[in-house]
Amino acid sequence: MKQLPSLRGVQAESAPARGSATAMIEIDRVSQVFQTSGRQSHLALSDISLTIEDGAFVSILGPSGCGKSTLLYIVGGFVNPTEGVAKMKGRAIAGPGPDRGPVFQEFALFPWKSVLGNVMYGPRQQGIKHAEAETQCRALIEMVGLKGFENFYPKELSGGMKQRVALARTLAYHPAVLLMDEPFGALDAHTRTRLQNDLLNIWERDRKTVLFVTHSVDEAVFLSDKVVVMTRSPGRIKQVVDIELPRPRRRAELLLDPRYQKYVVDIERMIDDTSEDELRP
Amino acid sequence: MNARAVATDVLLGIVPIALLVALWQAIASFGYAPASLLPPPGLVFTRLAQQLLTGTFQHEIGATLFRLFAGFSIAVILGVTIGLAAAASPAVNSVVRPIVRVLAPLPKVALYPALLLLLGFGHESKITLVAADALFPILLSTYYGASMVEQKLIWSAMAAGTPRRQILFKVVLPAAVPSILTGCRIGLVISCIVVFLAEMITSTEGLGHVLVTAARTFQAVDMFVPLITISLLGLILNGLLQAVRSYLLRGFPEV
Amino acid sequence: MSTLRTVLARSAPLLACLGLLGIWQVAALMLSTDSFPTAWEAIRAIPSILGDKEALINILASLRRMAIGFGLAVLVSIPLGLMMGRNRGVASFFNPLLMVTYPVPKAALMPIIMLWLGVGDIAKMLVIFLGVSLPVIYHSFQGAKAVEEKMLWSGAAMGLSAMQRMIRIVLPAALPEILTGCRTGLVLALITMVTSEMIARQSGAGNILFNALDMGQYDTVYAMIIIIGAMGIGLDSAFEKLRGKLVKWSEPGFDIPLSFA
Repeated sequence: MKQLPSLRGVQAESAPARGSATAMIEIDRVSQVFQTSGRQSHLALSDISLTIEDGAFVSILGPSGCGKSTLLYIVGGFVNPTEGVAKMKGRAIAGPGPDRGPVFQEFALFPWKSVLGNVMYGPRQQGIKHAEAETQCRALIEMVGLKGFENFYPKELSGGMKQRVALARTLAYHPAVLLMDEPFGALDAHTRTRLQNDLLNIWERDRKTVLFVTHSVDEAVFLSDKVVVMTRSPGRIKQVVDIELPRPRRRAELLLDPRYQKYVVDIERMIDDTSEDELRP
Repeated sequence: MNARAVATDVLLGIVPIALLVALWQAIASFGYAPASLLPPPGLVFTRLAQQLLTGTFQHEIGATLFRLFAGFSIAVILGVTIGLAAAASPAVNSVVRPIVRVLAPLPKVALYPALLLLLGFGHESKITLVAADALFPILLSTYYGASMVEQKLIWSAMAAGTPRRQILFKVVLPAAVPSILTGCRIGLVISCIVVFLAEMITSTEGLGHVLVTAARTFQAVDMFVPLITISLLGLILNGLLQAVRSYLLRGFPEV
Repeated sequence: MSTLRTVLARSAPLLACLGLLGIWQVAALMLSTDSFPTAWEAIRAIPSILGDKEALINILASLRRMAIGFGLAVLVSIPLGLMMGRNRGVASFFNPLLMVTYPVPKAALMPIIMLWLGVGDIAKMLVIFLGVSLPVIYHSFQGAKAVEEKMLWSGAAMGLSAMQRMIRIVLPAALPEILTGCRTGLVLALITMVTSEMIARQSGAGNILFNALDMGQYDTVYAMIIIIGAMGIGLDSAFEKLRGKLVKWSEPGFDIPLSFA
């Protein structure tokens, strides 16, 4: 197993190379191998190279087990790639940090803290004074539509509400990149569409870079500027599709838009082909 | 759970106790057992009320409570610390685990004579025994709770800027509190039991001592009094712990 | 390399034992008081105890009382716990009673029971019976409560009567939890046995222990501690093996080996 290039070596690069002056995230030939309990190794990701521009909304789409979440965790710094390197603004990613904020499918809210307590966690951690942090966070809680619920505990909230809190909590420490791991996967269809809309509205405000993992084709097409289609395990990039649909995007309009429909059909076919490849002996 | 269900539960629960007391009264009044062996409940409860008002009995309760709390507190501090350390560090874990496996099933009351020899007949030997017995459930449940913390919670905290060295106290410990409290509940009951027993075996004061003294002088009534007292103490302490638990766990979903 | 690791892992408890004995030895040498003999001196005293017929009979009698008390308790407590688990009325009926008796050390009932039943075997077995009952009832209760309703519905649909469902579905399903309770009960039985003998002072291992204490035979005191400790560990390991065989199918639950006095 090849070792990571030494971190020092990578950070010594003075200026980011190629045309990546605007690239927020660069994933360079990343592979990931996991040791399973039976002393076997499982190749989760194979030779992934990807560039993500600043302010882009990029979806990573693929069937279950294709390693898309793993890719997200590598960018988040939660997992170290077995080969290759992921960089942010030209510097190698060495661990988690407030510049890359995660939102997880399981919400991962701190059960011992109220809604306000959860959202205030990041700012307080960064040393912002209590009063100021509270004002900021109350505004944020209102923005995600949970005004009045500040003193509620996570267990008293519905799934959709919990995810709103999770989003507010991450936004509170102003990450440059949002890493969203199938955030609406645990919610019912109706809540999902509402949250997709709300997410886009919030995103329009400051246009952060977003890396959005999903297995839903229409969700990917609806939300993103680019869709990265991945193959089944071991995950490779099959194709990157640019979604040229105007913003702001309204669900009612888009569902009837033939361009949208074509994107969905084409990408679905791409994924079907992928699956068929694997089934052939 | 509506109010009606709760009320029926409580009523239903009182029935066996009431039945038992009635049975007790019946046996005593019908003369199936001489009063010297089985005094009627009325007599016992009046005696209990009397004793509770006397300074000497209060002093005995005080001694027992002191040893109980001291031992329990030591067990909590040690148990939580070691449990957290074992969950956080594989090195600590590999040392602690086999020791716990060996010591946990040991009846620590067998060590009591050794403690008496080493620490004398006063408070210290009792407190040490209580601490030794209450330690393991607390340690184990702390370890269990800490090692089961959801990975995504830790990741969320790290992304929010928490440095690694703070994760143990800011995330792991709070997330493990439900488990720790369960262990504490068990530890508390054990403390009640152990302190009483230790005082029965050798002591110059305390509720257990009261029981043994009464036994030696064949005073049946005086024997029931400390037993009922320790039972009540256990109930009260447990109730207090439950209240603390409800408060600390107000955000956690019901297990 | 990995074989060394596995060997170390398996022998870890043994190493822990030796380590603890080593610490004892050093501490005793450092303190060098009469009342704290070294581990070696204590170990040396063991064969003379086990060899002494009288002492051996006492110890075996202890074990016999323990076995009977434990056996009867299990026989009574498991059905009771199972019924409590499946029937809220039964549970509400017995719960408060159990909660009230919980903090009372059953061995503390010895003096009163001795008044009624004398100093003999029955008093001690009764106390052991009471002591073991509580955890077994409680765990049977929990185990039965946790049995999925849908499993029972399937059973009913197959034509099983209530009693059959209890025996053929609830009992096996709750078995892992029940066995955890029995394990706790086993440790409790040992402890109650020792403490009841410490209080009743008529015969048995606990009695030998305290006699030695009274007579200043400190080596014997510590030797008995080791013997009783070894019984505890031995019984616990044996039970764990049995449990593993009986419930091979269950997930390894994290059971907290509770130690009561």
